[in-house]
Amino acid sequence: MHIWFSVTASSKLLVILGFIFSNSRLKLLQRTEKQNEEEKGKNKVTEQNCLRSKQMSRRGFSSTCKLQGSHGELSSADSVTVHFINRDGERLTTMAKEGESLLEVVVNQNLAIDGFGACEGTLACSTCHLIFEKDAFQKLDAISDEEMDMLDLAYGLTETSRLGCQVRIKKLMDGLTVQVPVEVSDIRSQLEVGKQSKQ
Amino acid sequence: TQTWFGRDLREVCCRVSESHVCNQYGTSSSLPEETKKILQNGPDLEDFVSGDLADKSVWAEYKGNLKRQKGERLRLPPWLKTEIPMGKNYNKLKNTLRSLNLHTVCEEARCPNIGECWGGGEYATATATIMLMGDTCTRGCRFCSVKTAKNPPPLDPEEPYNTAKAIAEWGLDYVVLTSVDRDDMPDGGAEHFAKTVSHLKERNSKIVVECLTPDFRGDLKAVEKVALSGLDVYAHNVETVPELQRKVRDPRANFEQSVRVLQHAKEVQPRVISKTSLMLGLGETHEQVLSTMKLLREAGVDCLTLGQYMQPTKRHLKVEEYVTPEKFKYWEKVGNDLGFHYTASGPLVRSSYKAGEFFLKNLVEKRKTKVI
Repeated sequence: MHIWFSVTASSKLLVILGFIFSNSRLKLLQRTEKQNEEEKGKNKVTEQNCLRSKQMSRRGFSSTCKLQGSHGELSSADSVTVHFINRDGERLTTMAKEGESLLEVVVNQNLAIDGFGACEGTLACSTCHLIFEKDAFQKLDAISDEEMDMLDLAYGLTETSRLGCQVRIKKLMDGLTVQVPVEVSDIRSQLEVGKQSKQ
Repeated sequence: TQTWFGRDLREVCCRVSESHVCNQYGTSSSLPEETKKILQNGPDLEDFVSGDLADKSVWAEYKGNLKRQKGERLRLPPWLKTEIPMGKNYNKLKNTLRSLNLHTVCEEARCPNIGECWGGGEYATATATIMLMGDTCTRGCRFCSVKTAKNPPPLDPEEPYNTAKAIAEWGLDYVVLTSVDRDDMPDGGAEHFAKTVSHLKERNSKIVVECLTPDFRGDLKAVEKVALSGLDVYAHNVETVPELQRKVRDPRANFEQSVRVLQHAKEVQPRVISKTSLMLGLGETHEQVLSTMKLLREAGVDCLTLGQYMQPTKRHLKVEEYVTPEKFKYWEKVGNDLGFHYTASGPLVRSSYKAGEFFLKNLVEKRKTKVI
């Protein structure tokens, strides 16, 4: 440790920069490695032949090998867990920052909910319609008139429905579970067509 | 970075050399028979280096997945790949539009044909579909990437004049005008639309004008205003089959309303030709498309275009199926058999794609048969 103190400030800076640089190169390498592995898929021959070469190049970085999250770092202090139950019943769990709207969470975390947030959160559509649990719904902020107008047009409206672009994450929402409403299914399509013609 | 690149190249060489080694020395590897065949018949390193890979534009040769399975995102098939737009004509058009503060649906909705239409070429004049009433819509449909806002900026009163001026400059004989939905205006923007058409006809009475209008929330008076403004083709897109309307379009739009708009336009102006468009690949079935086409023909719609839906951004609907060019040809035949004036059908066909060519070609042919 005493060596560190005796070295000049500028050389300390160089050492730190070098460390950061090698770390970022490692991240890039790991990401491209992952991509390459996905592309090859079931081609065992390539893997067998090149495993040796991979191991050799990996050895050089093994001492500084630290895997970091691919979605950027979220400090656990101000992020909460949110669960989305997709239309097909699949449960998607993700981390969300305090103050983000639920629409932003879906878009930023690249969740597999398609056709969500078509108007980019400007209260001009109802594609970010989400159904909350009763107790979670009551803790949400009051709904505005404009949101209510758009929500009325949504399909499958319930008493605990809100638009995701207007609901902001708060600390007390940790573990929140929301349901993405099911689309019009073919069985009900006849009724829908009938309803629409009466409008 | 050097080791990373070097390793990649080594792996490609490994794969290539392995397949060759297999052939030459008959060494057995742990590969299944199928993969061995793919390695033998597939592209070689020489193909990649020369840049000349097989043109897999026919369905039979394309081996990728065309129907979306749960959780996956389909890859773009080769017949939908287009060139990056650039060139003299493209830039000239862009500058004209920006200087006159005009918007085009080509840019806002990310049309894949933008390079082709704007570039013009030897035999075609450069053309663009101008989008009136701004670039911001009041509805958010799940297939469209045009910007949306609750209260878009007010209309530009100079727009009808500027549009007519730009189009006169381009010297076109067929032009398509379209617009965004403006539910915040009392007449939905019909007056503005009609004014643009009349300005255009004033400047050049020979030009054939097609208007791709919104549904004006079903306000038939507004439809009448536009239909009587002097246009030749009245277009309004139903977008998809009735069963998927709720899922794909904004809830304020529906199939019956759209068909009523098209019927009313013909009622008030019998000379006008009505036209509509369908997007395929959103999850509709063969029977649904067939019955929709029949419904449209019964409602008196004259022209139909069918195109492939392509997901514009990640916030929009995923493509459920990439319909093959052969299937599009089949729908074209069905449309012609049903009695549409013309059916433009193809993966990259859009409502205003080569609209002039299809229309004029058809008109000439019809005139010929009448003479006979």
